[in-house]
Amino acid sequence: MAQEKKPVEVFQKEHEHDEDDHHTPGTVVLTLALLVSFAVYYFANWKALADVWHVR
Amino acid sequence: MSTAIAIEPPARESSPSGLSVGNHPSAGVRTCETTGLPVCLTAQQFIRLNAVIAVVALLAGGVAALLVGLTRWPTVHLLDPVWYYRLVTFHGLNMLIFWILFMEIGILYFAATTLLNTRLFSKSLAWTSFAMMLSGAVLVDVTILLGKADVMMTSYVPLKAHSNFYLGIILVAVGTLIGVGNFFGTLYIAKRDKTYIGSVPLVVFGATAAAIIAVVTLLHGAIVMIPTWLWSLDVIKHVDAGWYRLIWWGLGHQSQQVNVCAMVSVWYMLGTITTGAKPINQAVCRGAFVLYILFINLASAHHLLVDPGVGASWKIWNTSYAMYLAVLASMIHGFTVPASVEVAMRKKGHNRGLFGWLAAAPWKNPGFSAFFLSLLIFGFIGGITGVTLGTQQINILAHNTLRIPGHFHSTVVGGTSLAFMGLAYYVVPLIFKREFYARGLARIQPYIFAVGIVIMSLGMSFAGSYGVPRRHWDVQFAGAQFAAGFGSGAHVMLGIMGVGVVLAFVGLITFVLLVVAAVFFGKKIENRPMTAW
Repeated sequence: MAQEKKPVEVFQKEHEHDEDDHHTPGTVVLTLALLVSFAVYYFANWKALADVWHVR
Repeated sequence: MSTAIAIEPPARESSPSGLSVGNHPSAGVRTCETTGLPVCLTAQQFIRLNAVIAVVALLAGGVAALLVGLTRWPTVHLLDPVWYYRLVTFHGLNMLIFWILFMEIGILYFAATTLLNTRLFSKSLAWTSFAMMLSGAVLVDVTILLGKADVMMTSYVPLKAHSNFYLGIILVAVGTLIGVGNFFGTLYIAKRDKTYIGSVPLVVFGATAAAIIAVVTLLHGAIVMIPTWLWSLDVIKHVDAGWYRLIWWGLGHQSQQVNVCAMVSVWYMLGTITTGAKPINQAVCRGAFVLYILFINLASAHHLLVDPGVGASWKIWNTSYAMYLAVLASMIHGFTVPASVEVAMRKKGHNRGLFGWLAAAPWKNPGFSAFFLSLLIFGFIGGITGVTLGTQQINILAHNTLRIPGHFHSTVVGGTSLAFMGLAYYVVPLIFKREFYARGLARIQPYIFAVGIVIMSLGMSFAGSYGVPRRHWDVQFAGAQFAAGFGSGAHVMLGIMGVGVVLAFVGLITFVLLVVAAVFFGKKIENRPMTAW
């Protein structure tokens, strides 16, 4: 395990990045779960609207 | 290229840790033994004062929330109609305005002075701001409890409250504006005195975005509240109801966007403090804050989607174009915040599978659990429902039903309030320098509160889907001359909401008791780091 840094050291170096900083597969899956949840909820609401307001 | 903040040069004197003392007067700064950050002692005093009043407002608003929630639960139906509407007003102002604004002023002072290693711009301004905000909040609360302002938080004209109600809101707004001005002054002297090099840290950038939105918000407040105050004094004979609604939401909704900005800044701060996370992309994160500044104001139009006084084109532009750009900002932060935690945890060796980093996260640390639960509740419940309800056509289904408070309780309470609670688990030991009692209870408090809020929000949302109106004392319409009321499905959902209200209140009162016990009776922390969570 890496040595724990004090927050002041992280704040001082927060602009520094390396390639590993963009390897976030878990967060990508979480984000996709959010987008799927949104799509289901959003279109379920359009369906509910279509059920109460018929277009003739 | 490194443009890291410089807590080191320009070196003048050194604090005990060897860090620069920035532009602080002698004996005006200390180094936090836990974080290594410099703490301006003047700012510390005002962070404490604002935090204490914030927690008092949270307690007052929370008690009102319990009573209001138990009235909306038809099986209990606790209050009479007069006290129901009185406490709806009281609850809204204490929770949405006073608890949040006092915390935010504390956050602004902390972010500017500690992360930029500078003194607070003006102690006099800080006192003026605090005194005006406190006197205004007391004036509003007393006026409501005396029964002279049963107008609910929106106080839509022609409902008229006692003039002291409007005066109190104006005092709070101007006091907050002065506090925000003090924050900008602090940024200025930090830049002038070169207490940092390059860009300000992301947390300070986010706080600055919140402060800019706060200025626009408070100007809307002044524009709408000053004439209304004069109208309540009979100096002005008429305030147009449509104009009032339009301008009021520039105050009412935008104040919640100040919360969002402050909350996101707190997410980044707690991510760093609890896991060592740092933002994964500065330009993207800062760009998202700029999107908030540019578009969040326009998004307040979604409150007027069924208002006959404004046109369809105006509504559609603001809620289906401008609002999506503000939502994009939230989606960016919703990705970058957990991603930064994932990167930090993987660097510590937690690389197993997709979610090994998440399983290994410090879930027993209430600072972390509150922050991450806040992120999940805000995104998965608040965000999804918010975008959907803000669509003009769908809004027709939901407007003025319980779905609306179901949405905003998951953003402002499950999101902002929970994140601020997580922050308090560090503010008390680092700023008040006191240890928490009952640390086991503190570890589970965010979970109790989060589960309560989720149950309550879902109960409200589904009850609203049955058509149950918001801000209504008796949805059964007892004694009406016509058949009215709702079926068993709505009652089940209102019961679920009631259970959630009780659970959330248990989480809230646990938080308040833990904080009060720690602040007034906790073991002092002197010359040593806080006990790790």
